[in-house]
Amino acid sequence: MALTMDEQPTRKASSAPALRRDKNRGRNRLYFIAPAAIFLAAFSFYPLLQLVRMSVSKVTSITLNSSWAFTGLENLRKGLEGEMPDALGRTAIFVVVVTVLGLVGGLAAAIALRGTGKWSTVLLALMVFVWALPPVVNGSVWKFLLGDAGLFNTVITGLGMDTIPFLYDQSWALMSVAFVNSWAVIPFNALVFRAAILTIPTEVFEAAQLDGARPWQEIKHIMMPAARPTLLVLTVLTVVYAFRSFDFIYVMTYGGPGTATNTLPFLGYIQAFVRYDFGLGAATSVVTVLLVLVMAFIYARSIRREESES
Amino acid sequence: MNIKVRKGARALGVISVVGALALTGCSSSDSGSEGGSSAGGSQELTVWHYFSADNQVKLMDDYADKFEAAHEGVEVKNVFVPYDQLNSKLISAAGAKTGPDVVVFNGADASTLALAGALAPLDEQWGAFADADQFPDSVIHTVDDSIYAVQGYVNLLGLWYNADILAEIGVEAPTTIDDLEAAMAAAKDAGKGGITLSGLPQSQGEWQAYPWLTSQGFDYTDPQAADLESGFSMVRDWVDNGWLSQESVTWDQTVPFQQFTGGNYAFAANGNWQMGAAEADASFEYGVVPLPVGDSGKVYLGGEGEGIGAHAKNPELAWQYLQETYLDAEGQLLAVSNVGSLPARADASADEAVTGNPLLKPFADSLSSAGANYPDSIVPAASVADLQITVGQAWSAAIGGQQDPAKAAESVMAALPSLLKK
Repeated sequence: MALTMDEQPTRKASSAPALRRDKNRGRNRLYFIAPAAIFLAAFSFYPLLQLVRMSVSKVTSITLNSSWAFTGLENLRKGLEGEMPDALGRTAIFVVVVTVLGLVGGLAAAIALRGTGKWSTVLLALMVFVWALPPVVNGSVWKFLLGDAGLFNTVITGLGMDTIPFLYDQSWALMSVAFVNSWAVIPFNALVFRAAILTIPTEVFEAAQLDGARPWQEIKHIMMPAARPTLLVLTVLTVVYAFRSFDFIYVMTYGGPGTATNTLPFLGYIQAFVRYDFGLGAATSVVTVLLVLVMAFIYARSIRREESES
Repeated sequence: MNIKVRKGARALGVISVVGALALTGCSSSDSGSEGGSSAGGSQELTVWHYFSADNQVKLMDDYADKFEAAHEGVEVKNVFVPYDQLNSKLISAAGAKTGPDVVVFNGADASTLALAGALAPLDEQWGAFADADQFPDSVIHTVDDSIYAVQGYVNLLGLWYNADILAEIGVEAPTTIDDLEAAMAAAKDAGKGGITLSGLPQSQGEWQAYPWLTSQGFDYTDPQAADLESGFSMVRDWVDNGWLSQESVTWDQTVPFQQFTGGNYAFAANGNWQMGAAEADASFEYGVVPLPVGDSGKVYLGGEGEGIGAHAKNPELAWQYLQETYLDAEGQLLAVSNVGSLPARADASADEAVTGNPLLKPFADSLSSAGANYPDSIVPAASVADLQITVGQAWSAAIGGQQDPAKAAESVMAALPSLLKK
């Protein structure tokens, strides 16, 4: 009892400052979070709320700056009866091509750039440069390269073959723009894959070589398993990237020929900023956002799983 | 506690990703300061335009120099905004109660901009303008009985021809579609290209399509699927015959003229504003004839409308600028010499610089024989943009082979009733 009596003041004296410290730490954390939270609220939550509100309202260039009449799901109905289903189909094809090419290309580049020699550093710098290029510049260069008088067709016709209608045939155009999108995402994927591969201890490769493993076997049995946890995260990010792709289509084909490269984001742009039916454009964008949201949740789950595994 | 924080952070991360993505699709790049401002006693006048061709940019610079020379302390700031972003930027700016002092925009979009509240009415200024009677009604853009913009000049399409190629294949400049097709066939046989034009799936495509569609009898007043199909078929046949490159679906109006001045094409359906480009880039003899669109064919009378931003910082100075540049006789002659535009003013259009220019005469002839309001007066103001992209996409689909001509015509006909409903 005496001991208890003696201990009590001591405990009180030591726990009060500790509580204060915890409180201060909590407050400090809030201060650090505040700028990002304010930024997100202003530039993400508010626009998203406005987007959703717009998607259930009749908003044209005339009413954009005044009050918006609520129309429920009318815009969604109009979109589904109009161009949205076709655009969704094109978006799906586009996403598959960009994701497959982007991931395969990224992994291949990461494996090729595994070393730390001069050339691999130069190539890495070049890839970062490609990644950092604004899509409008990248797209303009590719539009030129893929034209009838561009580099690719000059080589193709030089080999005695017919010109390929890269950007003006309805099937080729979608594939060409998807290819250029993949080209632009490969550097990012390569850098992330490379980081994963670089975590493999060199002893593992040395042991494999002593066991007589060939390069292909090193890739298959050492590098690919090491890159697997990264693969899911990158897959989700690449799918999201492909889903929201707008810039390259805008620069290279403007959705054409006709509507052959009208994917969901571009369709939303045309509806909102060319036809000035902001309500319809917002409804298309909300559908896109919902699909991206699904990907974002998969991304969050995969991150959590990766964290728990590590 | 930690778990909660991490969950919250993760949720925040997810929402931020989605938010950023949502924003990406709708964001647009900053293209300069908005609105005019006064600083240090000097006045700044901001002019938004979408010109990128050298001669058109030079005209803007000449106007800025002219105005600045007459007004000490005034700085005219020409701000380039890409053609297909100008309207949306103006409308967004109006919502934020800002915007440029002066807007130079596609005249056909006057109603879109006026209805969106991006332009200031000019009734008062126009009523007091001493030279108002020099301007024909067709260049004054009125919406709901208020004037919102005036055109300093008129632009329209003509048929540019490479005289060297025509001499080589032994044909005269065409006056009918049959002549044109025969000439394109002969040019192809001689290893040359037939014609260049724009098949871009947007308003420029509709502007380029209109003469050829109306040449086959199509008319927005009484639209018939058969006429529309006939127009689309004609141009698709040009592609199939190798006279027109299918690549034209990726060309705006500048690229096909660059192709023409490259010297390998016999013809270009392009505008009078390309005169400076032709002089600078063509290393062959060239000429212009009216588009051979027959009795039913029409050619849009386009050009840029000039107006004052609804939230201009210096509206008085903006009106002064317009009076001394676009609406001034001397200013309009600058447009003739730089760009080859047809002046809107009666006195300027009678000037030797216009009447003595052999390249401008065919455009003037076309204006009087086949000139049509742009947009067609039957199209309700609120439907102009919608109609332009609908027809532009069908035009592109027919040229690019995404749809056969009948299907392309069908898609337009399905949309027209609601678009033309008053």
